[in-house]
Amino acid sequence: MNRLRNFSLVELSVDHPRWVVFITAFITLGFLTQFPKARTDTNPKNMLPPTSEVRVSNDAVERTFDLYEDMIVVGIANESGILNQGTLGKIKTITAEILKIPGVAARDVAGFTTIDNITVEKGTLQVSPLMADVPESPRELDRLRKQLFENHMFVGRIISQDGKTAAIYVPLEKGANGKEIADKIRGLVGQQDGLENYYVAGDPVARDTFGAEMFKLMAIFAPMAGLVMFMVRYLMFGDLFLSVALMMDAMIAIIWSMGLLIGLGLPIHVMSSMAPVFLMAIATDSIHIFNEFYFRYKEERDKKAAILKTMQAVGRPVRYTALATAAGFSVLLFMNIIPVKVFGGLVAFGTVILRILSFTFVPAMFTFVTAESVEKASQGEEIKTSHTSLFLGRLAGLGAHRPWIVVLTGLVFFAVAVAGTTRITVNNNMVEWFKKSSEVRTADRVMNKALGGTSLGYLVVGSKEGEAEFIKTPQALRHIEGLQRRLESLPDVGKTTSVVDYVKRINRVLHKDDRAYDRIPESKEMVGQYLFLFSMSAKPSDLDNVVDPSFQKANVWVQLKTWDAKAMRGVIETAKAYQRENPLALEITPAGIAYFNMVWNDEVLWDMIKGFLLALVVIFVILAVNFRSPRWAVVGYVPLLFTVILIYGAVGFMGKDFDMPISVLSCLSLGMAVDFSIHFINRFRQRIEEGRAAPGPESIEEALVWTAARPGKGILRNAVLFAAAFSVMLFAPLTPYVTVGAFIVSMMLLSAILCFVYIPALIVLLRKWLFAAEENQK
Amino acid sequence: MTKLIFQTTVAAAALVLTAIAPSSAQTADPAGIVRKMHRAFFYQGDSFRARIKMTLTGASGSERLRELTMLRINMPPGGDQRYFMYFHAPGDVRRMAFLVYKYPARESDRWLFIPALNLVQRIAAKDSQSSFVGSDFTYEDVSGRDVEADEHKLSREEEHGGKPCYVIESVPRGAASYKRKVSWIDKATSLPLKEEYYDVQDQLFKEFSAGEIKEIDGVPTILKRTMKNLKTGHQTVVEFSEAKYRLALKPEEFSERALRNPPGSWIK
Repeated sequence: MNRLRNFSLVELSVDHPRWVVFITAFITLGFLTQFPKARTDTNPKNMLPPTSEVRVSNDAVERTFDLYEDMIVVGIANESGILNQGTLGKIKTITAEILKIPGVAARDVAGFTTIDNITVEKGTLQVSPLMADVPESPRELDRLRKQLFENHMFVGRIISQDGKTAAIYVPLEKGANGKEIADKIRGLVGQQDGLENYYVAGDPVARDTFGAEMFKLMAIFAPMAGLVMFMVRYLMFGDLFLSVALMMDAMIAIIWSMGLLIGLGLPIHVMSSMAPVFLMAIATDSIHIFNEFYFRYKEERDKKAAILKTMQAVGRPVRYTALATAAGFSVLLFMNIIPVKVFGGLVAFGTVILRILSFTFVPAMFTFVTAESVEKASQGEEIKTSHTSLFLGRLAGLGAHRPWIVVLTGLVFFAVAVAGTTRITVNNNMVEWFKKSSEVRTADRVMNKALGGTSLGYLVVGSKEGEAEFIKTPQALRHIEGLQRRLESLPDVGKTTSVVDYVKRINRVLHKDDRAYDRIPESKEMVGQYLFLFSMSAKPSDLDNVVDPSFQKANVWVQLKTWDAKAMRGVIETAKAYQRENPLALEITPAGIAYFNMVWNDEVLWDMIKGFLLALVVIFVILAVNFRSPRWAVVGYVPLLFTVILIYGAVGFMGKDFDMPISVLSCLSLGMAVDFSIHFINRFRQRIEEGRAAPGPESIEEALVWTAARPGKGILRNAVLFAAAFSVMLFAPLTPYVTVGAFIVSMMLLSAILCFVYIPALIVLLRKWLFAAEENQK
Repeated sequence: MTKLIFQTTVAAAALVLTAIAPSSAQTADPAGIVRKMHRAFFYQGDSFRARIKMTLTGASGSERLRELTMLRINMPPGGDQRYFMYFHAPGDVRRMAFLVYKYPARESDRWLFIPALNLVQRIAAKDSQSSFVGSDFTYEDVSGRDVEADEHKLSREEEHGGKPCYVIESVPRGAASYKRKVSWIDKATSLPLKEEYYDVQDQLFKEFSAGEIKEIDGVPTILKRTMKNLKTGHQTVVEFSEAKYRLALKPEEFSERALRNPPGSWIK
């Protein structure tokens, strides 16, 4: 039934090619009108749905403690120390200018001129900005130095231990664009002259810079990939018109799918931004149609008959490879990570469109080709003379004639690769998505070295019974203080801040700045009055950020020196251990962007395992249905699995972080690499079937060599084209693109080669088992 | 110094003048309107007492309460004032007391009594634009900002809540927590009905609104006022009860001794 419909479709297209082209162009224009509405989303938060537990709890913590979602950190470094009039003057000017930037939450910018400093002088307590005016005399400068270094709330936060780096923390209003603000700040610091170096770091900078780069990459790399494929194809067939037709095929599918995505109001994410390149590569599957067409044309000498015969021969494998690819991508729809879901749906849709085009638009375009150019192009398509065909035949011969050696060698590689996969570490680090020399990554590195850390996590310490005012008790404060000291012993933790730091500071100040009182006072009453005193003159946010209004909960700020998920995991484990050793009716809950990254990271791992298993099952079922035999499915499956394990083994040995793009690829790779097996086995069995009817039957080995030489050439062309498209991504400035590019290029080439060697070897070894089943079926 | 004397003389003269002149007098002098507003809002009666309830609401809807008794006495002729605040709630700050000597054109003197340490601590008032006891009101909002610190302009006259008002735009001459402020001043009572504060980025960030207005001892008094921070989502509602004017308060009762032993007759 299916076959019938497709064939009438092909015939219809061959009979009315102009109509087919016109309608296709019309629909394409329709989807194209959606493009101006495109918008990107690079906020990692949106990886998980707003209803996910971590987002709900993080939002609640942000509301309770009046926290900002996003913070930019500006670093000012001077090799000879920042405590001089010149540098301090610049800090003052820059801070004043930053306050004026729209999107900056001016009221809570923390830097030398805005941060609250609690001091006592001549018996007068004072809460005021640390540096209202630039010190004019050496005496004033000394005073500032003393105030800075005697207050551990400042050291490691707004000034580095060595006094060479100062920082300004710039919180952003909800929805502000981090890159735009970072660019404005970079513009500001660019106007300053002098010896100072400036760094702009923080999650929103990385995120929004990534978003901007993404758009650029899409605009540059998708067309470049298209161009590379176009050239490679031209070299393969030497026919401009057909190369153009194939390229149009890909472009149409891209425009339809991206148009649909944008039209549905969905933002473009890092994954979906790669969709055009994927679709371009998947479109190369129609190379099998072209491949066969040239061979058929040589035999038939009639264009229309050649088209119909071609579709008859390759229709089934082409349909099934499309199905397998679409299935591989559809598996992603079952994931928890939203952009991955969207990407899966997007490419699955595009793949279906590509296949419909293969049966309509592509045959229609064939009719426009002049007989002469087909003649010219098909000159080279002769198994006996083509170098490629000869080489492929030899490759298959190796498997067919020396199956044991081939299989045993494979087993050795397999074992080594499995060992490699155990070394894989799952980690998503957005800052490391930039190249090492990039401005974003440099700023992050410098700031993490000098100061407490640019990645922020929170630990909310709350009364178990929800007892109000509990945080004001000295034992609760001592508990928190102990927790802070324990956390600070971790290598990735740069600095922690909590209400304890304020209480201790006030205690000291109220006791004539006596160092001995830099401790938690004895009674709850004192703590309450200290904090009230503090709130009488400080910024409301100072306290709001560290305690909830009813004093049931305290929020400990944990600054981390790395965006790696393992840093926050270490913090949580340490906190749990601390809680076990020091039982008090308190509970500790993690929050903040660092915690989110950790949760999301685990989610990626889970998704990957789930997706990979699901893909394994689905692909096997598709193969079994396609071959109408689970045994043949096993044969087709082996090179595929082998390829994937080899690549993951290599990833493990290279020590490359297993991040979201790679884990997504793990599912897809199955769906894409299986194409070669489908083509090979289908055509091989067709050949055997045809051979049975013929007078002098071929041996299995001969049939294998033929399959490798003729349809195999299509497979190789497909692999090379696919690899060519993705090789462009190797030159991208963002590492996820490079990773994806390298991954796909190696996977395509490897799986094609393995397909040529291992399928023949397995067929020869298992011939009895395979063909016995076939006999029984009959 | 001479400047200061001149300023206070002018301020005092203005106060006297406005007190004598009938309230319906049409004046187009914006600084004069603001001065009159100060007189009606911060200086009404010679002395004043009220029980004050402050409700601080966070962005998450959480509430914090502050309860205090406030006493005020005017110290003519210079426009000086003394404030005494005694805290009843929250529990752990009970008995904390706050004393302010306010001078129109220079920084006030402030003392706080910390019962847990039995300590009277002098507090610098360098930043009069900082928050008053953690609320959305600043010290200036509570006790008034020097009229001369801003440049005032009458932008228009319009009705607000059915009452004819002057709309005054005030731009600080020096550094301030706001870039400009727009006030709706009731022509009849000279009380501010609404104030809008714009930040460095010239965005509206804070809004004052007068709620219930009642005549107490013949003086129109705002009994409920709200300050809303539009950027943080915080708001503070201040409610006056047991308000009374022209009490027999003595300046000596506003002293360090009173901080430790608050005058029982005024504070219940």
